Amino acid sequence: MNAAAVGISITAVVGVLALIAYQGFSHFWPSDVQLIKFEDTQGQTHEVYAELVELDHLSVQQFLESSGNAKWVEPDTQVLARWLLKTGNRRISPPDFRWMYQNQISSMAPQANLLAIERVEWGNAYGLPVGVTVNGVDATLTEPAQLGALLIQRVSRAAVIRTDIDALESGPINHISYRLERLRLQERALQLSGDNNLQRSNEIKEEVADLHEQYTQRKIELSNLYKLLDQDQLTLSTASGELFELKVADILHAWQPNDMSTWQKSAHYIGAIGRFLTKPPREANTEGGIFPAIFGTVLMVLLMSLFVTPFGVIAAVYLREYARQGPFVRFIRIAVNNLAGVPSIVYGVFGLGFFVYFLGGNIDRLFFPESLPAPTFGTPGLMWASLTLALLTVPVVIVSTEEGLTRIPRSLREGSLALGATKAETLFKVILPMASPSILTGVILAVARAAGEVAPLMLVGVVKLAPTLPIDANFPYLHLDRKFMHLGFHIYDVGFQSPNVEAARPLVYATALLLIIIIVVLNLTAITLRGRLERRYRGVES
Amino acid sequence: MTESLLFSRMSRRRRWLNQTTRWIVGLGGAGVIGAITLIFGYLLWVVAPIFSSGEIASNPDIAVVEREPVLVDVSENGDVFLRLSRQGILEFYDAHSGIPIAAFNLNTEVVHAQRVYPLVDVYAILDVHQQLTFIRTQYIVSFIDNERKLTAQLDYPFTNKPIEVGSTSGFDVHLNDNELLVAASDASTIRLYRFEGVEMGYPLPTPQRQSIVTDQAAYHLYLGARNEWIYALSDQGDVELFDIKALSQPRKLFSANLLPPGAQLTASNVILGRYSLLIADSLGQVVQWGLIRDSTGTRLEPLRAFEFDTYVHRFVMEPRRKGFAALEHNGNMTLLYPTSQRKIANLKTTIFSASSSMAIAPRSNQLIVANNPQSIKIFDLDNKHPELSLRSLWAQVWYEGYPEPRYSWQSSSADNDFEPKFSLVPLAFGTLKAAFYALLFAIPVAIMGAIYTAYFMSQKMRSWVKPGIEIMAALPTVILGFIGGLWLAPIVEANLSSVLAIFFVLPTLLALFALSWSQLPERATKPLAGWYGLIVTPIIVLGVYLAFDIGPVLEQYFFGGDSRTWFREVLGLNYDQRNALVVGIIMGLAVVPTIFSIAEDAIYGVPTHLTNGSLALGATRWQTLVRVVLLTASPGIFSAVMIGMGRAVGETMIVLMATGNTPLMDFNIFEGMRTFAANIAVELPEAEVNSSHYRILFLTALVLFILTFLFNTFAELVRQRLRSRYGSL
Repeated sequence: MNAAAVGISITAVVGVLALIAYQGFSHFWPSDVQLIKFEDTQGQTHEVYAELVELDHLSVQQFLESSGNAKWVEPDTQVLARWLLKTGNRRISPPDFRWMYQNQISSMAPQANLLAIERVEWGNAYGLPVGVTVNGVDATLTEPAQLGALLIQRVSRAAVIRTDIDALESGPINHISYRLERLRLQERALQLSGDNNLQRSNEIKEEVADLHEQYTQRKIELSNLYKLLDQDQLTLSTASGELFELKVADILHAWQPNDMSTWQKSAHYIGAIGRFLTKPPREANTEGGIFPAIFGTVLMVLLMSLFVTPFGVIAAVYLREYARQGPFVRFIRIAVNNLAGVPSIVYGVFGLGFFVYFLGGNIDRLFFPESLPAPTFGTPGLMWASLTLALLTVPVVIVSTEEGLTRIPRSLREGSLALGATKAETLFKVILPMASPSILTGVILAVARAAGEVAPLMLVGVVKLAPTLPIDANFPYLHLDRKFMHLGFHIYDVGFQSPNVEAARPLVYATALLLIIIIVVLNLTAITLRGRLERRYRGVES
Repeated sequence: MTESLLFSRMSRRRRWLNQTTRWIVGLGGAGVIGAITLIFGYLLWVVAPIFSSGEIASNPDIAVVEREPVLVDVSENGDVFLRLSRQGILEFYDAHSGIPIAAFNLNTEVVHAQRVYPLVDVYAILDVHQQLTFIRTQYIVSFIDNERKLTAQLDYPFTNKPIEVGSTSGFDVHLNDNELLVAASDASTIRLYRFEGVEMGYPLPTPQRQSIVTDQAAYHLYLGARNEWIYALSDQGDVELFDIKALSQPRKLFSANLLPPGAQLTASNVILGRYSLLIADSLGQVVQWGLIRDSTGTRLEPLRAFEFDTYVHRFVMEPRRKGFAALEHNGNMTLLYPTSQRKIANLKTTIFSASSSMAIAPRSNQLIVANNPQSIKIFDLDNKHPELSLRSLWAQVWYEGYPEPRYSWQSSSADNDFEPKFSLVPLAFGTLKAAFYALLFAIPVAIMGAIYTAYFMSQKMRSWVKPGIEIMAALPTVILGFIGGLWLAPIVEANLSSVLAIFFVLPTLLALFALSWSQLPERATKPLAGWYGLIVTPIIVLGVYLAFDIGPVLEQYFFGGDSRTWFREVLGLNYDQRNALVVGIIMGLAVVPTIFSIAEDAIYGVPTHLTNGSLALGATRWQTLVRVVLLTASPGIFSAVMIGMGRAVGETMIVLMATGNTPLMDFNIFEGMRTFAANIAVELPEAEVNSSHYRILFLTALVLFILTFLFNTFAELVRQRLRSRYGSL
């Protein structure tokens, strides 16, 4: 019976991990698109292209209660099988996800030459290519296979142009608007300071005019690129024979899932994972990648370790090496231990109140009066998030470091002191190097905890969609006041706040999988380090 | 010589380094203590104003031109005050210096003037010719030569064409969105004028008119919320309530006498939102009568009463909150708030009389009195959180519009006249409920697992299991919450009977398995001893599978085909998709590793000579376990449960994602709850800084902080005791 408890725990953990891994990995596989013939409630036959997402069973009772068609129920059955179909084509023939009962479907077969298209907006589209327009001229080809190949070629051309556009927008144009904003603030600061520095103010005006001119030029370049992008068009036909037109500019990616070999599918799969990891999200986070969230998480965690490592180590050194051991230190040690058990949301509340409103508000008043009432640091942001998490994780580092310090044999300290080293020298040359693995363990554990923490971040700086990364090419490069995206919050937001949960769910699984991988790897590293450490000191002690 | 110089220099550097290190390390140590006290101190500092009482501070008199006042008021920002005199002169003064700013002549003799709620800068003026005019004040701040200059302006928002209202003894006016309703009474006739589609700057449209005849002479009129009804109050305390939603067919809803026998009406007023009346009587009692509508009809109920030394002869209402000031016959002024039933501040003075012109500023931070024609007095009111008291946080409160007192958490709404409901009880209840169901699941699993791992398991498997379960502790709760909310909750909803069946099938199956295992020859089981934990895994999977197989059958036979309907109709349990069952399982999973890890340490740490001794004395392994090992380790197991509880109480993301977050007060396992932590996460980003709502959320954070800190300290002390006991054994 007791063994079963362990069994349950292990099964649960493994089950959760397996579920996430399966769901997360399977999303990117280009599954076949079926041509499905089915009968609706009125008994009419329809056809639709769809990916099979999931097979589910429903009791006949529930089916009939929800006013299901009794005709589809076979006699002597208790459950009905139904498929969740992804039919895509949102905006063309909605809905893009639908449940269909097995008994409703008369035939199901992969359709050759079918194009699956990832659109910039409105999710996937499925259909047979009917015609392609290249540079405004209709292609003479009529074979779906050839049309498909041509389209894929044009899509990759569009991708190149899109890269240029992105480079232009996020590069020079972004830089110009950033400079303009800075100049506006400088002007405001000049007004606030009260002295009429005409020369400076004229300089600013000149610079602004200059920037505006550059901006206009860049805009022209941009609109030229957009014109280039806009020339191609594709006509697709849906399963019911309806035709619709798509601009190639609106296509991110096109493939022919039913004609791909396993190798091609694997390549597509890897490419899709790559895009997921390196591209920003689209469509209220329900499509596209999670790069900004990964970036935000990593940057926040790095900043946090910058704060937490010195503070944690110094505090541990104080508690173990410098403070006189007594009831007071014991009390502090207990308190530090307990801080690790304080709910993380409490840190969030403290961070919001103290860091953001109190510290941030005062910093704004002192250093950034020109941009008030718009807050600079008086609003949740990267800096405050990492400080809050540093506070949250400092007990982890202290406890781990202290553990390492306790393991160092007294004889080593005494030996060093006896050789004439000062206490500081003993600390730096003997104790800290010996304790370094445990310090590292502490920092890794802290990082792992911080990476998975969401509740406090919701209060102190995470947003569902950050327009810019916290690091860019504009001075001062690292923008501590910016809000950022975070993997954990991304899961919460997309899974629970998004308008189209069905479309977003696979992405949430994939994001969860990534987060779990990061955290499990970090924890395993810490555990291994700890194990190695234990073995090493066994050697020293004996 | 050089050598010694070198040495001394070196030594100085070394000494400097040594000192600096000591200094920095000391600072780091102080930093830790500082951080702990800072968190606690800051939370306390934000929370503290909740519990401070209000204050009324008196300012010197401001001398003004001698005129008989009918209306005084203070501007939004408190810089300007105005006085309207009986002669129709409207004057504006600088509130700080008392210097006149502007004056306007309305060219009429004023009888009565009052604010047009919910606005604070529009006034209705009734003159001797029984005509009604509306005026609006505006204050413009301009900078001339870097000096702040205030100008006051007067205009007529609905043009200056007056409205004939006839002879008037009772009067009220109220603006609901763009519908202006005027009520005037003369003895037992109420005349109503409804102007629809009213817009500032445009003349009033032709009104809809209606007359209502009352049984008693209605000297006090109060329009109801959204202009849907009207309270007509006589001098004897008889109230008549008329439905005037459809003005063409007024309908009497209710009538009663609101005074205790032998008492007389001394003052009355209507509380912001117009759901309740304040009635003061000659016995020194003030009763809040609230309008309640339910299946039996509409009625007024006494929601709460305030007692005074002498009778109250005047109410001054706060324009944007439900609070008010009550003036007693003996000159005492008290600030009160209905929801919290608090007397916030008190001032003993003799300057107030029942007929003084008085008003509370829009921000409720000033009170202005014109007691005599020559002077004005302004009091500063410090009354930021009147709606909070221990009672309103923790006791049942009879809110406006509810048929009985209740615990309710409803912090904000789109309406300005909304009564915030800040009862912490539903949240505390939800927190405990979530923790209870989580521990119900977690404690057996974790402790049994710990016993097995520490006591029976082979070393090799233990070295795998422990880190494995510790990694489970590191799983981000957002992922567990997501699994719970989006994966488990729909499964549980669709297969409720199967999920319930698991709790019976699995233990039965495991018991059967254990029984048959013990019947196997020892030769077969011996090499596997210590690996049972792994062997049972297929059995668990089988059990879950089996449960899902028999679930529909159970559903058919026990629950009449649909278990959710059965629970609702037979047991009266509502079913939410995201409920306590899901939270219990998922949060249980999150708490298991915490409890497991500490309990396992405690059991593993039981000195071996104790168990060996017990075994040597002839006890079986089971007897040794129950009588020796568990007994010795019980404080450690207890502290493990405490720490697990601390974690369950403060867990945010799981509860946020796997429940519906409705602040219910129902222990039903199939309904959701809202916990302190989830509540903070939901509401704090939207709460206005330093508002009562904000401070309450900080209070809940402080409660969580103290609670978990106490739990953990207690657990830690128990563990340290235990450790020293092991040491001595």
